[in-house]
Amino acid sequence: MSRLLECNGLSKNFGKLQAVANLDLTIAKGEIRGLIGPNGAGKTTVFNLLTGYYRPTGGKITFKGEDTTMLEPYQIAQKGLTRSFQQNFLFMQSTVLENTLTGFHMFCRAGAVKEFLHTRGAREFDRECREKALEIIDFMGLSPMKNELAGNLPHGHQRALGVSIAMACNPSLILLDEPVTGMNPTETEEMMTRIKNIRDRGITVVLVEHSMQLVMNICDRLTVLDYGQKIAEGLPEEIRRNPRVIEAYLGKEENSAAA
Amino acid sequence: MSKTAKLTLLGILFLILMAAPWMLNSYVLQILILTITYSMLGLAFAFTLKVGLPRFDIAGWWAVGAYTSALLMQKAHLSFWLTIPAGIIIAVALGWLIFSVAIPRGMMVFLLFGMVIVLAVEQIVGSVSFFGGWGGTGMLPHPTIAGYTIIKKPDLYYMGLFFLIVNILIYYLLYNSKIGRAWNAIGSSVKLANSVGINVVRYRMANVLIGNVFLAVAGSYFVAYSSVVAPSTFSFPNSVNIMMYVVIGGISYSLFGPLVGAAIITFIPEYFRIAKEKEPIFTAIAIILIIILMPAGVIGIFDRRAIPWFKRVRWLSWFTNKAKES
Ligand SMILES: Nc1ncnc2c1ncn2[C@@H]1O[C@H](COP(=O)(O)OP(=O)(O)O)[C@@H](O)[C@H]1O
Ligand SMILES: [Mg+2]
Repeated sequence: MSRLLECNGLSKNFGKLQAVANLDLTIAKGEIRGLIGPNGAGKTTVFNLLTGYYRPTGGKITFKGEDTTMLEPYQIAQKGLTRSFQQNFLFMQSTVLENTLTGFHMFCRAGAVKEFLHTRGAREFDRECREKALEIIDFMGLSPMKNELAGNLPHGHQRALGVSIAMACNPSLILLDEPVTGMNPTETEEMMTRIKNIRDRGITVVLVEHSMQLVMNICDRLTVLDYGQKIAEGLPEEIRRNPRVIEAYLGKEENSAAA
Repeated sequence: MSKTAKLTLLGILFLILMAAPWMLNSYVLQILILTITYSMLGLAFAFTLKVGLPRFDIAGWWAVGAYTSALLMQKAHLSFWLTIPAGIIIAVALGWLIFSVAIPRGMMVFLLFGMVIVLAVEQIVGSVSFFGGWGGTGMLPHPTIAGYTIIKKPDLYYMGLFFLIVNILIYYLLYNSKIGRAWNAIGSSVKLANSVGINVVRYRMANVLIGNVFLAVAGSYFVAYSSVVAPSTFSFPNSVNIMMYVVIGGISYSLFGPLVGAAIITFIPEYFRIAKEKEPIFTAIAIILIIILMPAGVIGIFDRRAIPWFKRVRWLSWFTNKAKES
């Protein structure tokens, strides 16, 4: 399988804290990769590095064979790498449909002047975007509330909308940061099915999650982080039995039980 | 409201504005001319607030337009109409130089730069004698069209109305285009806008420079009806003033908020003229009351989507609840 994303020796320090230490990671085209680890392991920081929100302290990132280490977030998005956020970052004052349409920013180009004068060509284009957006909304199960304001949606639907916006960017690689936190078991089940469907559309997925159990079933491979270090990588069954992984998770649970 | 209803309403409003010079005396017309100018300044503030940047430099760019027109007419004997594009070019070029440093550094730096710009412009035009000094430059020539001098209040009023309508129209088209959608996205979340591939710095720059275009035009227009340009007109307090009336009109109504706010702020002091030297006190009280009682601005009262104003004021809603109970 061909490599879609590769990073070598990726590091990020916040002062003395080493949030990500010397990480090597290769994502193959068409896989669902789980990036797991206890809270504070550095998973979100890895996403922020890959998408240009943080500048790495060291290392190199290659996406589709191009060096993207020093690119701005919008440039990385334009290359086909998008993400959802751990918090619900949405355009809260806009409807579900408008939110998703914003994701089409890079595509529906009728030309600035035509767009400005609302020519027929521009309106035609607008309709096309709308249709595509509605298709994505339907795909994410948000059709019934397409005209609701994002700020008025329940938490689970807000998470789904975050993924819709990322999907609208027509990515080849999508990074999902804890897409199921705060969801009930039914919603979680639905979201997991959708993530599989996203992959079946030809989009490679990297999924961050702190609970190992949730991702076991849908991920092709797992990468485990602890204190910014990669401690294990492999098939889900291998990871489940890996003593270092068990120790990392148990250690954390003991700590939080003590606290 | 349906589209036809809206258009009819706008048509009626337009006719009233066109007929105003026949119904009003030149004193009221002069206030309307001020309203037009302040509307353009307020529109620029609301325009850039769309991309999440509060402008404190409005009066500075207004001054650039005004001084360019005034000096070119007086010293180079250029036609007023040619000084308008000259003002625009200077405001956009200077703006581009300054903002390519400020905008990539985010909102706080932009805000600080804005303050520095107003203060610097005021100091420069005041202390460099070429610009006329603190007393200002007076005896400005009047604009002419084909030998006809535009000096009467109705003519000046129509000229301003023309500028204002062009301004509103272009802003309206922008707000409803793809650019407007990107601006909205930036205004609600820079992070998310970035993640969908919006070049935040470039879109913000475009917004601010388009704002500068109309600020320069407002400056030229000021020269057309004012016989003097002086630093005190373009001072820092005036820049803050602009923000205040945008809030009064309703900060979330990017087109009508500034218009309503500008009308209120120019007419309120006139009503309190009878109070003579105590006028500023009454004006201040009126403004404070408006801001407390109408958090969504004056337009908010008429907006059914906004929460009714009496429900937003706690003691008043307590009162209405009591009324319901009894
Ligand atoms: N912007 C930041 N400034 C300082 N420390 C940070 C910042 N972002 C993350 N960290 C720290 O880096 C570590 C990893 O955080 P994060 O990547 O959010 O973990 P995870 O997503 O795995 O829970 C944490 O200790 C966190 O406090
Ligand atoms: Mg995280």
